[in-house]
Amino acid sequence: MTTTRGSSRGFSRRSVLLGAGAVMATAGCNLVGGGGDDPTDAGSTSGGEGGGLSGEITVALVPDPPGASEFYRAQFDLFQEANPGVTVNIIENPADQQLNALELMFQQGEGPDVMRVQGGAALTRFYDRGWVASLDDLVNDDFTARFPEGSLEPTSSGLHREGKLVSIPLVWGDWGYTHLWLYNTDILAENGYDGPPETWEEMVEMATTITENGGGSVFGVAPVAPQYFIEVVQPFAQKPGVNVTTGEPDLANPNVVAAVEVWRQLQANGVNMPGWESWDGGRPFTEFAAGRLAMYPTATWHVAEVRKLAPDIGMGIAPIPVPESGRLAYAARSAAHQPIWSMSAESANTDLALAAMDFLGSVDFYKAYYEEFGSFTASQVAWEDQAQENEDQAGILAVAATDIRTAPNPELLAQGAEAFWADAGGNADLDVKNAYLESIVSNVDYEPLAAAIDTQVEALIVQYEAENADLRSQLTFADWDPLEDYTA
Amino acid sequence: MTTAAITAPSKPGVPSKSRARRQAVLWGWLFLVPLVVLFTAFSLWPIVASWAYAFFDWDGVGPPEVFIGLDNFREALNSTSFWNAFWNSFLFSLGALFIELPAALCLAMLLNNVLLRGRNIYRLAIFLPVVSTTAVIGLVIAVLLAPVGGVVNEVLLGIGLVDRPINFLGDPNVALPTLVVVDIWKGFGITLIYWLAALQTVPKDLYEAAKLDGAGARQQLANITIPVIMPIAVVVLLLTFQRSLNTFDLVQAVTGGGPIFSTDVLPTYIYRYAFDANIAAPRYGFACAVGVIFGVFTLIITLLQGPLLAGRLKRTAA
Repeated sequence: MTTTRGSSRGFSRRSVLLGAGAVMATAGCNLVGGGGDDPTDAGSTSGGEGGGLSGEITVALVPDPPGASEFYRAQFDLFQEANPGVTVNIIENPADQQLNALELMFQQGEGPDVMRVQGGAALTRFYDRGWVASLDDLVNDDFTARFPEGSLEPTSSGLHREGKLVSIPLVWGDWGYTHLWLYNTDILAENGYDGPPETWEEMVEMATTITENGGGSVFGVAPVAPQYFIEVVQPFAQKPGVNVTTGEPDLANPNVVAAVEVWRQLQANGVNMPGWESWDGGRPFTEFAAGRLAMYPTATWHVAEVRKLAPDIGMGIAPIPVPESGRLAYAARSAAHQPIWSMSAESANTDLALAAMDFLGSVDFYKAYYEEFGSFTASQVAWEDQAQENEDQAGILAVAATDIRTAPNPELLAQGAEAFWADAGGNADLDVKNAYLESIVSNVDYEPLAAAIDTQVEALIVQYEAENADLRSQLTFADWDPLEDYTA
Repeated sequence: MTTAAITAPSKPGVPSKSRARRQAVLWGWLFLVPLVVLFTAFSLWPIVASWAYAFFDWDGVGPPEVFIGLDNFREALNSTSFWNAFWNSFLFSLGALFIELPAALCLAMLLNNVLLRGRNIYRLAIFLPVVSTTAVIGLVIAVLLAPVGGVVNEVLLGIGLVDRPINFLGDPNVALPTLVVVDIWKGFGITLIYWLAALQTVPKDLYEAAKLDGAGARQQLANITIPVIMPIAVVVLLLTFQRSLNTFDLVQAVTGGGPIFSTDVLPTYIYRYAFDANIAAPRYGFACAVGVIFGVFTLIITLLQGPLLAGRLKRTAA
């Protein structure tokens, strides 16, 4: 655990420049005071320079990603400058120790005033223990305008518990839900294609041609994330493969079988790039950047990694291909945001802690974070204009705008089913990934493997129904059309 | 105590023998304190704590509160993936016992020959993988064995030994044997050092006497070398067995237990349940239970070897 008090020492040159820029940018507005109609004015609801705020607060955070220590210290220095008399003490914990450290601090009556809660599961835990304060006092039109429209709905924000706002996000939720089809425009052109595949059938044809023409050094595709094919045909809840429109385990659904079959046939025909079976997370973008892999389904963060490795590569970004018959579902936005920052219910300086939360949710803070780390943050208005000028980021935004739908999240909407979700999610034997990997790699039928998992999930549901008779109905959202956004 | 009455009075300024012995014992304990404290804190306590945690449904955050009895043990023993990992761990040990040990002994005999020039250089070269970082070795191995552009496949294709690249780490049927071979290569140096140390305990005059009696190399090996090094061989065998059964870093660095768990060993299995972010919540309690089961099995297998080896020792001595 590292503690820093007051002002920072030894900032990087970039941090100093950014900090100076942010000071200039905020010179005309209060970080925690005033506030106008324009949401791009700094976050600001209470207090303000000379507004009477004084004292000390402690913020427990995680110095992640690299460079975050300097960034946070610089940002809180700005907060202190805008609020003379305020001292922000920072406690840094390694990411994998943060939750245990927070537990220990609260159990000893020394909880921080503001903390990184690291996601929904921990937020629920801390909320249930009464350690997390409501942030509803922050919510007004100005605050709401900082975030995408409708993303602060209590039933789908991911930031609410029992209808109360109890957390603030950091990075944009849709960034994590968006899945892309990356393709090398040069390799496609060399093989006579002027655009990416839009359907599974086109993908198979293009990948086969590229691999055949590649002579063992260039390959059409690698099935590093077959689940992205599944999500365009099946409205799943996350881990155990429960179809939330029926409340039934549904991994052996014919549409899912067809999605896996595409990759199995490619593997059996020697089209997939060999060796993918044992790749670690960074290997796909390494192979893509090296020009050995023409196309693959991926998460958004690979885009920046490819660009770092091969700045001049001809990289195209497209939606995940769908079946010829059309898509049956979208990538599921199960919560609008991931909860990151929360305020302690035991804070001795509530006004100051609330002001710090307001600062962490301000447009200026989000903008600074985007500029420092290149990550899309929760406040889209803070960075969207800049992102549209960047071809790669604009491509990601275009896919995100069309390929995601809000799905009902049983973990947020169904009080009482928490134990089932924890059990189902924590059992690696119920992970569908194992079934489709075995099918593709070993060239065996997927359907019986998936059916076996469905049987286990069904048994688990029945087991939990003994204690919670309403469980099945809590998993079912029969009125939801998977091709539309879910609205509670 | 009557002892005090019959003890001769010590000379002034000269401590009695018993006092000196007591002081020596006290100093001994004093020097042991750091070791005892560290051993208790970092070895004994984690072991005992893991036994306790194994009875809880615990995610590692906060104190364990949900006592579930033997459920974690029951789940592990009924899980096919647990037995798959267990079997794979056992295969690593079999490879070490039946390939690494005899091969290292043969090479040690060669390198123990004083007539061999540059033998220290050979020893150093063979020992280098032992002190090399496993993660780096893992990365290098993955690159060398890659089916596309990997040096090994390029060579095999070039000399016509294969007509298509071998998917060393991606084929579930090939990945485990590949890792066993790499593990043997990585640990070969330490086993070699054990054998060299054992061979150097054999008195040279035994060989000289045998030569005078007209014994050949084979007879010297069977009647002198093997019997003399056998007590140390038991220790070498147990150490090699323990090391190979706990293979973790190599597997984690090269395949992560994949593809489709074909190289999964119990340490990676435990790691996955305790730390893998892909599982919704870490299951420290379950991971501890698997660790306890693993420890018990290791102990049983080790104890089983003891009587067998002791019996062999007696036969050899006779």
